[in-house]
Amino acid sequence: MVKQSNYGIGIDVGSTTTKAVLIDSTGKVRARYLLATGASAKKSIQRCLDELVSQSKQDLSGITMISTGYGRSQANFVSKSVTEITCHGIGIHSLNKEIQTLIDVGGQDSKVIRIGSNGRPTDFELNDKCSAGTGRFLEVMAQVLEIPIQELGSLALKAKSPSVISSTCTVFAESEVIGRIGAGDTPANIAAGIHKAMAAKIATLSQRVGVVKPVAVTGGVALNPGFRFYLAKQLQTELWVPDEPQYTGALGAALLAIDTHE
Amino acid sequence: MSQKTTTEPPKEKAYRKLYTSKLLRETMTLHILSTKTASQNGRLVWVTSGFPVEIPVAFDTVAAYPEQYGAIVGSEKCGPLLCGFAEELGFSQELCSYARSSIGSVKKPEQSPLTGLPIPQALLACNNICGTVLGWYEAVSEMTGAPVYLVDTPPLEGDQPPHHLAYVKSNLEGLITFMSETFNQPYDEEKLLQVADLSNTAVNLWTKSLEACKNKPSPLNCADRFLSMAPIVALRGTQQAIDFYQAFYGEVKERVKQGLGAIREERVRLLWDNIPPWFTIYNFFNTLAKKGVVFPADSYTHAWSANIPRGEALESIAQVYSKIWLNKGLSAKIDKMCNLIKDYELDGFVLFSVRSCKRYSLGQMVTKEVITRRTGVPGVIIEGDMVDSQQYNEAQAETRVDALLEMIL
Ligand code: SF4
Repeated sequence: MVKQSNYGIGIDVGSTTTKAVLIDSTGKVRARYLLATGASAKKSIQRCLDELVSQSKQDLSGITMISTGYGRSQANFVSKSVTEITCHGIGIHSLNKEIQTLIDVGGQDSKVIRIGSNGRPTDFELNDKCSAGTGRFLEVMAQVLEIPIQELGSLALKAKSPSVISSTCTVFAESEVIGRIGAGDTPANIAAGIHKAMAAKIATLSQRVGVVKPVAVTGGVALNPGFRFYLAKQLQTELWVPDEPQYTGALGAALLAIDTHE
Repeated sequence: MSQKTTTEPPKEKAYRKLYTSKLLRETMTLHILSTKTASQNGRLVWVTSGFPVEIPVAFDTVAAYPEQYGAIVGSEKCGPLLCGFAEELGFSQELCSYARSSIGSVKKPEQSPLTGLPIPQALLACNNICGTVLGWYEAVSEMTGAPVYLVDTPPLEGDQPPHHLAYVKSNLEGLITFMSETFNQPYDEEKLLQVADLSNTAVNLWTKSLEACKNKPSPLNCADRFLSMAPIVALRGTQQAIDFYQAFYGEVKERVKQGLGAIREERVRLLWDNIPPWFTIYNFFNTLAKKGVVFPADSYTHAWSANIPRGEALESIAQVYSKIWLNKGLSAKIDKMCNLIKDYELDGFVLFSVRSCKRYSLGQMVTKEVITRRTGVPGVIIEGDMVDSQQYNEAQAETRVDALLEMIL
């Protein structure tokens, strides 16, 4: 194995998934991996690192690593921990220098970040107290509708007339959805109503920071076309989504690792 | 060649302890003892933090502060237990945790720190801080039999109109009658003026100590001020308060002269807004001290810095106690915080949104926006409570403050 000292690793230990990215000094991604965080953050971090080794065929010892995300302190062997706010800012800026506002919607939290000229955040709002406006909200609703979560977004796009789901609270919205099923609304219309409610919640969070265009969306939920559609409509702007939106925080951490090293 | 030593030098702490903290402890212990004696002698009053305490002091009564007791409950980490006692009585979890823990301690003193506050002979509330205090004191009145007197100070925007002043003054006249009757003692205006003078002397020493934090490094951190404010709250108008603040200001001046900061290495200067989370006060501020973060100013401890002007005693007191920030609306508070940021040369601010205290926490989102627009420095809001630790999540607070530091550094 070749040992590389001019590489950087970023590990984003989120509440739902752990992501790791290995980059070289030009910022090119050499390996990446994502898995469910599960009960032990430490184990999932180790699994991620093992994967980076096998994908890149590199000896990772001695490479600067930075951890981020809510479980960042669990990775006690890293050289530094940086908050997910800063890492997402740096990550999105490296992918698209134009972006002024980033909306990141993860499994159990969501955040809106105003990006400064060098990618550093200048302001942010974080929702990590309530599952409304997070991936968890959509998961619960998909369960009620008995639809696989991966299909919920595309189903919503087939709606003719979205159901009205007025509550953004996961518990209340769940009973509303049950009510809509009882009233005979189609699954597509209900799915659309769910995404509209979710978009409304995220829009409120965004307004607190101020939505300056262009706007990017990242996190696992950014892969959901129904959510993107209704959020764009709600914010009245186009949304830019990177190819692999879940890795943005880990990428930012890896870029900071290269900086630290240099 | 260097020789290997077997004993490591003791690691220096990130913060410096005040030597006057010993005197502070003694002063407050004596005060607690005096409240017990006063209760036995039928001369104890409970007062709210913004109450014109000079009046009961001039009537030779001793004042105990349930809010200060709440701070003790919080520091002793028994907030959830005592709040729970009040909740068992039917009080809502949304009620201020100072009120809940106070009511809880009256219900079960045997399970409360210091076996609760001694039973009062009168409950004196002033709603210049919030409306909660009246309902709270009425509940305690039902349980203890002590009568309540309310000094009503309607909210004020801008200057105080004459009819407002006249109304508050009439409330103070009512208080005089209430005190004379309850404690069987005539009103002595000359004595009240003397007490006001003593109060002013202590307030001046306190204010000078706070203002010394404009120095770099700052001689005091947030926890230092929150603990040392105890006598300015509880002993205003007494010689004991003056004695303490003379020593305290002496230490502050000494630190400034020697260039000694409250923390070893000052890198970032922040403003703190609101009551602190008492149950983790040291942990919170000392963890940040290790990162080089000091809080030279806060919006809370500066609240006790108004002088009672010489003149007709009740009119002067009515003026001062109507105009405390909480009674003056959001824009006065925002102005004050912007000024603190400029005058103390601060790099950012932390607004603590206290679940209990709606009056103090309302409007923080707008406040954050306006302060940044006016001063150019960033800030964050963290959520929690001062006593009820169930409402506070350390990891969430830490992420927000760390992100703020990453923006500044
Ligand atoms: S609500 Fe706020 S101002 Fe009122 S007593 Fe409680 S902490 Fe004090």
